[in-house]
Amino acid sequence: MTTDNSGDVRLSGISKTYGSFTAVHPLDLTVPQGSFFALLGASGCGKTTTLRMIAGLEEPSSGTVHLGEQDVTHLPPYKRPVNTVFQSYALFPHLDIFENVAFGLRRRGVKSVKKQVEEMLELVQLGEQARKKPHQLSGGQQQRVAVARALINHPKVLLLDEPLGALDLKLRRQMQLELKRIQTEVGITFVHVTHDQEEAMTMADTVAVMNAGRVEQLGAPTDLYENPQTTFVANFLGTSNLIEAEVDSRSGEDVVLRAGGGKLTLPRARCSAQATTGGKVLVGVRPEKISLTHADDAGEIPDGRNRITGRIADSSFIGVSTQYVIDSPVCPEFEVYAQNIDRDPRLVPGTEVVLHWNPAHTFGLDAAQDIDAGVGTVGEEAA
Amino acid sequence: MAFVNWLKRHLVVVAGLLTLGYLLLPNVVVTVFSFNKPKGRFNYEWQQFSTDAWKDPCGVADMCGSLSLSLQIAVWATLGATALGTMIAFALVRYRFRARGAVNSLIFLPMAMPEVVMAASLLTLFLNMGAQLGFWTILIAHIMFCLSFVVTAVKARVMSMDPRLEQAAQDLYAGPLQTFLRVTLPIAAPGIAAGALLAFALSFDDFIITNFNAGSTVTFPMFVWGSAQRGTPVQINVIGTTMFVVAVLLVLVSMALGNRRNRQKA
Repeated sequence: MTTDNSGDVRLSGISKTYGSFTAVHPLDLTVPQGSFFALLGASGCGKTTTLRMIAGLEEPSSGTVHLGEQDVTHLPPYKRPVNTVFQSYALFPHLDIFENVAFGLRRRGVKSVKKQVEEMLELVQLGEQARKKPHQLSGGQQQRVAVARALINHPKVLLLDEPLGALDLKLRRQMQLELKRIQTEVGITFVHVTHDQEEAMTMADTVAVMNAGRVEQLGAPTDLYENPQTTFVANFLGTSNLIEAEVDSRSGEDVVLRAGGGKLTLPRARCSAQATTGGKVLVGVRPEKISLTHADDAGEIPDGRNRITGRIADSSFIGVSTQYVIDSPVCPEFEVYAQNIDRDPRLVPGTEVVLHWNPAHTFGLDAAQDIDAGVGTVGEEAA
Repeated sequence: MAFVNWLKRHLVVVAGLLTLGYLLLPNVVVTVFSFNKPKGRFNYEWQQFSTDAWKDPCGVADMCGSLSLSLQIAVWATLGATALGTMIAFALVRYRFRARGAVNSLIFLPMAMPEVVMAASLLTLFLNMGAQLGFWTILIAHIMFCLSFVVTAVKARVMSMDPRLEQAAQDLYAGPLQTFLRVTLPIAAPGIAAGALLAFALSFDDFIITNFNAGSTVTFPMFVWGSAQRGTPVQINVIGTTMFVVAVLLVLVSMALGNRRNRQKA
């Protein structure tokens, strides 16, 4: 392990207010050197403002920004060892691709830029386009120019502000992998702002989910997905089925809950709320963890699994999976994604079914929150 | 019937050509009469072909002096109005200051005000200040009325500029001065150039305001006006034709350059 931490980004108590509006609440965040870090949230959640404070394009209302050991809070952007890939790229329209990429080197007084620029254009596969103007390139090519223009300066940290937002889906997937490859190759700290949860999970080592100017939860993508701590994270990252339940008793490592008529088991380690007997918690389970069994075959379900009864309200065939919406007494719209391996032809809308899953896949949340927080904000265009 | 159909299909082209003819006819007349050899002092009737005037364009007393004065005033007025107007345009677009709205509308006043009224008021002002009428009063007046046109042209350009471009420059180690010189100015350049051309054209052929505030100084438009009352030398047509040809050549050259650059890049 290297002990070099000059590429650490450390935000301490940083906040931003515009008049009476607070865009970012005081926030502490450390991004370790060499990591791919994503700030994820819906539009207006403060993620871009946070990024711009690291770049120096916004002055924080309070708190400090450190890069490694250096306090850069009051340094102007052109004195920070940080470069940004802007949303919509902001390529200089009057300069050709070569000069766009060479811009940073020239401003720092580097004499012979030709070799470096050509190498960088090779890295992003644009060697042929060096003498074209930005408007003559496609969106994907412009995006790569923007990355090359920032990376050529070997910044301590590369900031990416919704860099893939303007690309179509296929190109976006391709660029996600490309950016990830470049990051692994150059080993620079990347801080990536996005509203696309899939993008954040594909690319980042660590994701911070932001909502209304605060970080809701921070962690590895799998950790965030499997163990959401708030309803916002549970709903914003993928889909969650949330059931209101009452704590019945505790047995060893598990909490036993009552929902509707049945009982559900929840591992205590996976419950972020206080589970006092008689209190309420929200029980969550992801749609792909659930199995569907026709009510006639209910006897074949092994013991020890959490079960709920219901009726299929709707089903849609997606190819790799079939998505069911189940009308259940404990939850009106329970979602289930079933792999199309052994499809039971009897499972059509109107059928009575039993839903069952391994209790280890259950998570518990504080019932005092809005159960629908973060629903429907996915995929919204960022401002 | 066939003709009606043909006309229907080519109506836009026909209308365009007719309009162009309407615009260019006066210039054609000026050019044709620059080769005339008039009888008497007035160059209003075609007599016979001659290149006398072209061989001796400065053959009329004082004409080339007034032309050179007009060109000098136009150059200085263009420089002054473009520099000031560009700064005003940036201030109006980029900064929020007290009375910004008022300045924004007042800047159009010289465009809207009848020229004679403005000319007379300026003269009153200069006389009350005890200023010596001449080159400097003309220049001050020209800069003043060219300003609004420059501001309008540059403002449109600056308003459509993406502020992220300047942020990107700063992010790429360009300080405030470098950002302005390397990014802001080049991108605003077409607007500034348009404003400057407009200022030059307006200043060069202004008559009314100049006539009021020139004192005993004579610019080219004043010379033409003065001589038109006593007889029109053919050389005036020579100068007019030359100006027209130079302007057309400039446009053609810049178009050719633009085309070649685009073809190279493509």
